[in-house]
Amino acid sequence: MSGLPRVGYVGLTHLGVCSAIAAASKGFETIGFAPDPAAVAGLEAGRLPVVEPGLEQLLSAHRARVSFTSEPSRLASCDLIYVAPDVPTDDRGNSDLSPLTELLDLTFAHARPAATIVILSQVPPGFTRARQRPGIRLFYQVETLIFGRAVERATRPERFIVGCDDPTRPLPEAFARFLQAFGCPVLPMRFESAELTKIAINCCLVASVATANTLAEICEKTGADWSEIVPALRLDARIGPYAYIAPGLGIAGGNLERDLETVAQLGEALGTDVRVVRAWQRNSRYRREWLLRAVHEHVLATRNDPKLVMLGLAYKENTHSTKNSPALALLDALKPFAVTVYDPVVAPRSEWHPRLSRAVDVLTACEGGDALIISTPWLQFKQLRPSDIAARLRGRVVIDPFACLDRAKCAAAGLSHVTLGLGAHGLVIRGKPHVDASRC
Amino acid sequence: MLTHHAVEPVSPGRVVILGGRGFVGKKLAEHLAGECVPVRSIGRDAIDLAAHGSEEKLLEELQPNDAVVILAALTPDKGRGVPAFLANLKMGSCVHAALERRRVAHVVYVSSDAVYPFRTALIDEASYAEPTDLYGAMHLAREIMFRQATEMPVAILRPTLIYGAGDTHNSYGPNRLRRMARKDRRIVLFGAGEETRDHIYIDDAVALIALVIRHRSSGMLNLATGHSVSFAALGEMVAREFPTPIEITGTPRQNAITHRAFDVTAIHRAFPKFVFTPLDKGLARAHREEMA
Repeated sequence: MSGLPRVGYVGLTHLGVCSAIAAASKGFETIGFAPDPAAVAGLEAGRLPVVEPGLEQLLSAHRARVSFTSEPSRLASCDLIYVAPDVPTDDRGNSDLSPLTELLDLTFAHARPAATIVILSQVPPGFTRARQRPGIRLFYQVETLIFGRAVERATRPERFIVGCDDPTRPLPEAFARFLQAFGCPVLPMRFESAELTKIAINCCLVASVATANTLAEICEKTGADWSEIVPALRLDARIGPYAYIAPGLGIAGGNLERDLETVAQLGEALGTDVRVVRAWQRNSRYRREWLLRAVHEHVLATRNDPKLVMLGLAYKENTHSTKNSPALALLDALKPFAVTVYDPVVAPRSEWHPRLSRAVDVLTACEGGDALIISTPWLQFKQLRPSDIAARLRGRVVIDPFACLDRAKCAAAGLSHVTLGLGAHGLVIRGKPHVDASRC
Repeated sequence: MLTHHAVEPVSPGRVVILGGRGFVGKKLAEHLAGECVPVRSIGRDAIDLAAHGSEEKLLEELQPNDAVVILAALTPDKGRGVPAFLANLKMGSCVHAALERRRVAHVVYVSSDAVYPFRTALIDEASYAEPTDLYGAMHLAREIMFRQATEMPVAILRPTLIYGAGDTHNSYGPNRLRRMARKDRRIVLFGAGEETRDHIYIDDAVALIALVIRHRSSGMLNLATGHSVSFAALGEMVAREFPTPIEITGTPRQNAITHRAFDVTAIHRAFPKFVFTPLDKGLARAHREEMA
């Protein structure tokens, strides 16, 4: 191969769009394909279907190298084709693999014989091998997209995990050259190992999250403060600085839920002990209801027909996704009560709640509210001053699971601050404890 | 979790209460009568559901628009052995057979949290039912009987310990502790009263049953408050209601300490406006009513 390989991306949802633009940013001519002409027209006009910090700028900077099409015959010009649609899941995390299979068949039909085809979507163990065909060079690559950090993950991956029919054979030249451009380790392994690696990564993350949530709840009832414990854990080399040990409202977004359900069903079918996975799922469902329990305990138990203020609808900051969002789960359980919402990206829908109103900005949302619920930790919520909130809020309760607001400043403003990992009546400590990390 | 077949609450045509002479049955009848709901309250004096021929008598009582609330049971204070178990199954079988022959609008079976094992401390509706005694096994068997009545919506309710004035049972809980204090000026606990339990006030239990009836709900719901306290703390709360000091003493522990707590998210989701009576307020009300 003389020049750089041309790379195709089939399926222009979150994963495909972010990956295609990242490939263009590495100097590769890139073609993004989706069968829907309307979606393609939007992308061609520069309208991105997803919210990701830095993605618009990345596209603008490399626009000349990326094109979008709904014409599958253009895939024949690609040396390397990633099939990368998001795999939809139901409420229990069960995958619907039929859209992926359809796109894969379409790719097989239009790719030229020498092209390398790589499945990038999340699939269960056994999926890729079952789709091998004579004359097709098929691989699987683990995607590690994180909603809200997709650009960083796509342009600066930690490593590539590649599933192969025979991992002892070198990768095709176009595939190898493309991966080398990212300057990170490449780990070839058999198909099933790669498919299970993705699940293994997510199981490790969920185990950490479930541990943090379990102990954070004990903190809430014992006077301990989980935020004081976290730094100690991060300094433990066996746990590490990037461990998923911040308490949260259960697993959301769809991807982790999918992997848990996949591995649980696989283990049950194989007769292995996957009860711990079922326990993680249960813990996640329980934790997602933390907001509802808090609202009942701190607001509804004492106030009749309160006006509630909710900041955040997305399942986490820096994303438009509301898949399994705790905020929507809460709205669904508060239908008799008036709720004013504000989210920087997500527009509220009338079908979510019969008494929902949208505020134009954060502080306007707080006007006259009986309680404030900060359900998504957007940066702009962390920049709020509790005194400004207190001046507008009629009630005094702030339910702030992610501690966007400073507890001591809330107390000074006369607000009752309810957060994850610390009981409502926990000691308010002004300032930070002195820690000499060098002696830890 | 419950499914409401009437999203907005509606008044049932009539409510038939089987076990209407018991603690919960009487209070439920009073509550519904207060809401102008027609009630037919049937106790053992009217129909002995365990007796031969009772199915025909019950059939004569049932009408298509009825919501049937099944509370009738021999409670543990009337026997924990095989005879009580079999009699309870016979009663369940009688009601089930009648419902098979006469479809009604709604069936509400009031079971018990005795269907749950004590090795699981935090209980919700997804917790495994694994009864450890014949009383719990009886309730679980009857739940399965009534769930099989697929022609009509069936709600299974599993109450925790219910307290309040007028309770004829004398199980270990607020009522027994109050009676001990009244009679002997002393409350005697098992061990040091370390076990934690959830206690629901009778008015709350009855109000929740009435909401289930009004929404024609089907599915499963635990009737609990989500707040558990130790028997030691409960004893102190009961004692505080008396004008003079009550002695609280422990006894040598005979059994391992067990705890039970409920996640009541399903109640919050089913009935968002429902507010529980706090334990201290419920105990004070029960005290006033019982001592009057």
